[in-house]
Amino acid sequence: MADTTEQPFTVAVSDTDLELLRKKLDLVRLPDELEGAEWNYGVPLADIKRLVAYWKDSFDWRKAEAGINKLPMFTRDIEVDGHGTLNIHYVHQKSEVKNAIPLLFVHGWPGDFLEVKKVLPILTAKSDEHPSFHVVAISLPGFGFSEAPKKPGFAGRQYAEVFNKLMVALGYNEYVYQGGDWGHILGAHAVTHYGHTNIKAWHSNMPFYRAPKFFSNPLLFLGMLTIPFDTVTKTRLAHSMKWQSKGRGYFIEQATQPQTLGYSLSDSPVGLLAWIYEKLVDWSDKYPWTEDEGRLLEWISIYWFSRSGPAAAGRIYYEMTSQNQHDVLEGTKYSSVPLGASYFPGELVRLPKSWTSMLGNVKFEAEHDKGGHFAAYEQPEKLAGDLRKMFGKGGPAHGVVPGKNGYD
Amino acid sequence: MSDPTDSDPIESAAAVSPDPADPHAERPFTLSVPEVDLSLLRKRLDLVRLPDELLGAERHYGAPLADVRRLVAHWRGAFDWRAAEARINALPMFVRGVEVDGFGTLEVHYVHWRSAVAGAIPLLFVHGWPGHFLEVRKMLPLLTASEPDHPSFHVVALSLPGFGFSEAPKKPGFAGPQYAEVFNKLMLALGYDKYVYQGGDWGHILGTHAVDIYGHKHIKAWLTNLPVYRDPTLFTYPIYYLQKLLLPITTRFNDKARKDYEDTKNFYQKGRGYFIEQATDPQTIGYSLADSPVGLLAWIYEKLVSWTDNYPWTDDEVLEWISVYWFSRAGPAAASRIYHEMTGGQSYDWWKGSKRTTVPLGAAYFPAEGTRPPKQWLNMLGKVVFRSEHDRGGHFAAFEQPQLLAGDLRKMFGKGGPAYGAVPGKDGYN
Repeated sequence: MADTTEQPFTVAVSDTDLELLRKKLDLVRLPDELEGAEWNYGVPLADIKRLVAYWKDSFDWRKAEAGINKLPMFTRDIEVDGHGTLNIHYVHQKSEVKNAIPLLFVHGWPGDFLEVKKVLPILTAKSDEHPSFHVVAISLPGFGFSEAPKKPGFAGRQYAEVFNKLMVALGYNEYVYQGGDWGHILGAHAVTHYGHTNIKAWHSNMPFYRAPKFFSNPLLFLGMLTIPFDTVTKTRLAHSMKWQSKGRGYFIEQATQPQTLGYSLSDSPVGLLAWIYEKLVDWSDKYPWTEDEGRLLEWISIYWFSRSGPAAAGRIYYEMTSQNQHDVLEGTKYSSVPLGASYFPGELVRLPKSWTSMLGNVKFEAEHDKGGHFAAYEQPEKLAGDLRKMFGKGGPAHGVVPGKNGYD
Repeated sequence: MSDPTDSDPIESAAAVSPDPADPHAERPFTLSVPEVDLSLLRKRLDLVRLPDELLGAERHYGAPLADVRRLVAHWRGAFDWRAAEARINALPMFVRGVEVDGFGTLEVHYVHWRSAVAGAIPLLFVHGWPGHFLEVRKMLPLLTASEPDHPSFHVVALSLPGFGFSEAPKKPGFAGPQYAEVFNKLMLALGYDKYVYQGGDWGHILGTHAVDIYGHKHIKAWLTNLPVYRDPTLFTYPIYYLQKLLLPITTRFNDKARKDYEDTKNFYQKGRGYFIEQATDPQTIGYSLADSPVGLLAWIYEKLVSWTDNYPWTDDEVLEWISVYWFSRAGPAAASRIYHEMTGGQSYDWWKGSKRTTVPLGAAYFPAEGTRPPKQWLNMLGKVVFRSEHDRGGHFAAFEQPQLLAGDLRKMFGKGGPAYGAVPGKDGYN
């Protein structure tokens, strides 16, 4: 049955929009900075000055746009129960291998669909040694070039519905899932609703679940209280506590007053730049952004030129916590769908690995010594390698999608 | 003067070089925003790019789009900054250098309105965030009036360092003791060796530090309109602690107590994003506040509405308020740093270093204040000699209900009041 709403998609920012950005950059008014501030108060002034100058004078959006448009991109209408029709943007790269495994790749905040760029050629490569994948990388509703929800209440179940309807519309009734950040969280929701029936296995590069409560996981809870954690685990917990106490401003503001913040992000390119850049540095494992400033500004520009505007993306925090009244995994259930977990040392939330078993049926685990939150972008070989191991011949999730084991 | 083409940090709206002869000497201050700054603001407003809004959002997601759109249009068009400026300049304002140990000399801006009454009580009024010195404005005629029935005050209302038209500290570490030092040195320089203190928001928090260091010797009594302090712990105040644990139950039996408890909980859950961001990454949010007039407007306006008791803000009032931040000497980003400095970047609470004193303390309770713990808990802060409970008014009490707050000061310090004669030889009357 042909779905007639799919359209090929090219990014084409208007000259007017480019001109407005240029005018705003010309008028940028910067604050001062305390002596010796470095990163202790937020993004350093020297970084921002340099990036604003680059954005204004050297960055070539049209060139970046042309590069993005080399990817096979599409949009199509997806109907969401109670929310009408949303026009969704996605990359869809099919492998040469007919029996390639359909994989949905889901980004987070402040990420975007382009995070798939480096893993795409690896995952879709044809080889006797490795499984191949058909890859779908979506722009979450409200991000990149997807439409945003128009009314309140668009949360876990709704995102899961978009994912599943998209994959089914593409002819992938059964598929696997990969995500980090919101991609991870929404994966837990997707698997709750569509696990086994559609999602046959899933992989996360930010594998966390809720802290054990006595009644749901008495052994783990007691473990938390009484058994001293080993040094490695203590380091991981300390790292997470640091994020908890010093790195959550963005989360709380977006979870409680995203509209207020949104005026700044919509109106001020430098405000948007600082807001996102802070996380690109903090959350990556010393990724050398100074050598990749073109990509960095492309990243920010995607938010600036996004279809729904930069303010819409932050609303996910509000909707997924009902304005900070519950955690983001509320409504998810343990699922026996096979789960793979990749642990990267720079990830912001790092919990004891034993807790991952509360999240799902852990069949694959990999621990790395390099890489952070934006794993697909920072360590594409490692992340793609993990997927290959998990789904390849002899791997714990080999052949989960009937008739599509990744090899011809 | 700011030059946008080389993206330099904000220059002062009223730069006054310290007099090389005596940086500590008082000089009259006149606010005079350069024409180029006004023109640049207008250019930025012309280029405003607004977000959309969810259907039915109202105020649940933050400042409503309709309000912001209307305010931006007014700011671009009919709002007359020069008229507002002229009205501000009608106040008796000054600057003087105040030396702060380890931080050099900071130029401090203040209103100083002396009463005609010989025995008037010197009073320091301290604002907070997102407030400013003008919050004292409506109370000035009441407090400085010469009336036989009421005590009169000499009022000093400063711009906190980093706010309004005071210089900002240049290096890290400017916290409770430093602000207190500025307050005390300023009052001493004005000839007020002994004085009383009134504050809310940061004015209250900094008051706890000031009273701890300079209480009795200089600060003889104080009135707060944010009557809160540390939560009780089992070891410090076991009875209050027990009361705290039982609050979810005990408040069920009293409508007012339940509302206090629920509102406080709500504030903590939904109203603290600005605080956590400013306490951890003030520089990051600062880029938005410095660069985007609408970003700054929304950030502050959200609180002007949610923290007041249905105050009927006019667009002119809002825009004058926001403009003081936009044209502030140190720029809007500097003000946010107080949250970081006072909490060590969220390493500890802002009461750190302060303790209970026996300096007479007054508490003015306004129903729409965001945090409303049990009133007895204020005993943990000091010797409560005066308490008033109002049926209207919120966080910006001096601005919303000047009659009520000035009335509290009059009652507390007037003849027959619990702090009458606190300042020897200056009882407020002729």
